[in-house]
Amino acid sequence: MYTNIKSEDYEQEKQNMKNKKVYWDYVDGVVDTNINYLDNENIKYNYSFIYAMEKQTDSSYSISDYDIYSSCDVTNAEEYSAYGLNETLYTYMLENRTAPIYGTILSIGLLIVIAIYLFWSIGHKEGEEGISLNSIDRVPYEVLVFVCLMILSIALAVTANIGRTINYVFLLVGALGYLVCYAMCAIIGVTTIKRIKAKKFIKSFLVYKIVRWCYRKLKILFDTLDEKTTENKKLFWYYLLFIVISIMLACLFYTGIAIILLIGFWIWAYYKIKKYILDQEKIKKALKDIYEGKNDVRLNEDELRGALKEMAIYVNDIANGFSNAIQESLKSERLKTELITNVSHDIKTPLTSIINYVDLLKKENIQDEKVKEYIDILDKKSQRLKKLTEDLVEASKVSSGNVKLNFESIDIKELFNQTIGEFKDRFEDKDLKIEVGMPESDIKIKADSRYLYRIIENLFSNITKYALEGSRVYIDVTENNKNKDNTNSNNSHNYINISIKNISKDKLNISSDELMQRFVRGDKSRYTEGSGLGLSIAKSLTEIQGGKFNIIIDGDLFKAEIDWPMSQ
Amino acid sequence: MYNILVVDDDKEIVGAIEIYLKKEGYNILKAYNGEEALDIVNSNEIHLIILDIMMPKKDGLETLEDLRKNKTIPVILLSAKSEDYDKIGGLNLGADDYITKPFNPLELIARVNSVLRRYVSFGSLKKEEEGNVYKTGGLVVNDDTKKVTVDGKEVKLTATEFNILKFLLQNKGKVYSIPQIYENVWNEEGFGAENIIAVHIRHIREKIEINPKEPRYLKVIWGVGYKIEDEK
Repeated sequence: MYTNIKSEDYEQEKQNMKNKKVYWDYVDGVVDTNINYLDNENIKYNYSFIYAMEKQTDSSYSISDYDIYSSCDVTNAEEYSAYGLNETLYTYMLENRTAPIYGTILSIGLLIVIAIYLFWSIGHKEGEEGISLNSIDRVPYEVLVFVCLMILSIALAVTANIGRTINYVFLLVGALGYLVCYAMCAIIGVTTIKRIKAKKFIKSFLVYKIVRWCYRKLKILFDTLDEKTTENKKLFWYYLLFIVISIMLACLFYTGIAIILLIGFWIWAYYKIKKYILDQEKIKKALKDIYEGKNDVRLNEDELRGALKEMAIYVNDIANGFSNAIQESLKSERLKTELITNVSHDIKTPLTSIINYVDLLKKENIQDEKVKEYIDILDKKSQRLKKLTEDLVEASKVSSGNVKLNFESIDIKELFNQTIGEFKDRFEDKDLKIEVGMPESDIKIKADSRYLYRIIENLFSNITKYALEGSRVYIDVTENNKNKDNTNSNNSHNYINISIKNISKDKLNISSDELMQRFVRGDKSRYTEGSGLGLSIAKSLTEIQGGKFNIIIDGDLFKAEIDWPMSQ
Repeated sequence: MYNILVVDDDKEIVGAIEIYLKKEGYNILKAYNGEEALDIVNSNEIHLIILDIMMPKKDGLETLEDLRKNKTIPVILLSAKSEDYDKIGGLNLGADDYITKPFNPLELIARVNSVLRRYVSFGSLKKEEEGNVYKTGGLVVNDDTKKVTVDGKEVKLTATEFNILKFLLQNKGKVYSIPQIYENVWNEEGFGAENIIAVHIRHIREKIEINPKEPRYLKVIWGVGYKIEDEK
């Protein structure tokens, strides 16, 4: 016996409890109670309970073995208690059974009307055609639903736990919670309808997008397989073969030999790929060489296979075409030089006679001043023609690179001392003062001494012809270091700068580029001596020896600049 | 009286050369192709041949080759071909000198004189070798008499020019830079006198060379120095 009653006399207590206002007893399938709706007639109200009790009677722990007595103080509590409320409501419901049915039908009707209206109106904006979607509608559908449901369930959990406690704060939180719940439902509902109406419902699923992406990638993969010549197709099958063989060998793992075979297969595959990449490198290098201007690039086509072989054939074709073009252009340059040389030979023979007989005429004892003057003109012009022929041959030879260079170590100071010595009398004749600026240390450069002298000679000869009499000529040689902060390092960037400046006698109404072109000279000089090839020859001779030749004209200042790489 | 054979297919050039050389007192024979030239050489005593290269029938180089099989007559090639390899080729075939067209009549005369002097007075040089004599080719410097002769013809040099030439000739074949020449000739270091030496050397060249721009003896190696060519 389990009880919380302290008294010893249980029969007495039982009787006491029975005497209280409400009691309920179950003896041999008959209920003895003073609650009128829990008597035998209304026992179906608690049918399940009775059923459970009757079931128990079969077992050893038959319910008949137990009497349960419980009591509670219900004084003045009847009308407030939940029990009482339920009782009242039940009584009301029993009396008005039909009322809820009408209410329900009305509600459902209204719901349908509203739902139809909503479904019809959602997504339409005033003054806009079609369905307008906002940012929420673009969120993948299942993501949106998941997030909304999460928020909804949190809100619901919070709200539900507040229970029936009546407190204003809790009431407010509860109300907000329900509001959130409804909002979530509304969002899901509205967006679902909008998506359906915009015919984007399925498309808005993330899963759909992923599936579509995969489908497209696969489609591209398989589409390329349809093309007959692509390397993709090959790659696909090779790769498939690789995987299949790997899986097959992996399945045979327990044999032990399969492990070795698998590893061997992988290494073999690695070397195959490596060879492919190395062959590709060869082609890349060949292309780079061609790009850099080497014309003896040839790939061994037999060493390569498949597409690489094809590429090698194309590269070789390009290289062949390239070197053929170079050969052709060299040949045509050589032919041009040859033509000019031959023509000049043909000119030289009659010119020899002209010069000689003009010279003989000069020696005749001619009194007539006019005849003397004419002979003088003939003399000058024939001499100029001679110079022109010689320079023409040289210019064509030099500009076509048709000269043999013999490089030796040249001391710039010595060169200028010698050259100035050669020209001293001619400078003095024109009253030109030479101002030389040289660095203290010896400057050595690599050059063909004869051609280097020709460059300086041409410039000096121009000065004696075109410089303003009585002016100064500046010759400056400077050592230049391209990386001045790091003089100890690589010297290959060092070069010397030779600058020769003079003041022109005549106005230089011509650009420096034009001056360096063949046969172009400053206006006035066209009527005096010279062929107009001097600067062009000097420029070509500088360039074939690796230097840079530049003319700068600034007003009457004529400046020739030569940058020459310094020898180590 | 020396007999000079002038060979050129251009009659006017032959005519002009004839006028110039006759004025110098030479006897001129004329030919207009290589075969004619060889015929004349075989039937006359010829002391010098001026030979054009580009000629019909037999060109100058073929003629020279045939000639050199049994004759040592000096030959001056006269050609419009002015390339280095043309000159070297001609000289290697046995020519004694090479003149390019169009030529300066004075240069032609000087070269003719020079070649003839060398050829004819070859034996008389021995006499001059006594005493302090330095020589290369036809250039002879006598330190005792302070005389300089080129192919037997005396050349007047200033004292400075003589000293420089003597120094270079004493060390023929070697290249000397301006400061080295200054140190050796003046026995002191020369600063600021650099292009004076260069001027002197140009003057020497103008005096001893027939064509100072293409010197035979006193060579300029631009950017390096000067040297006297060592001719055997």
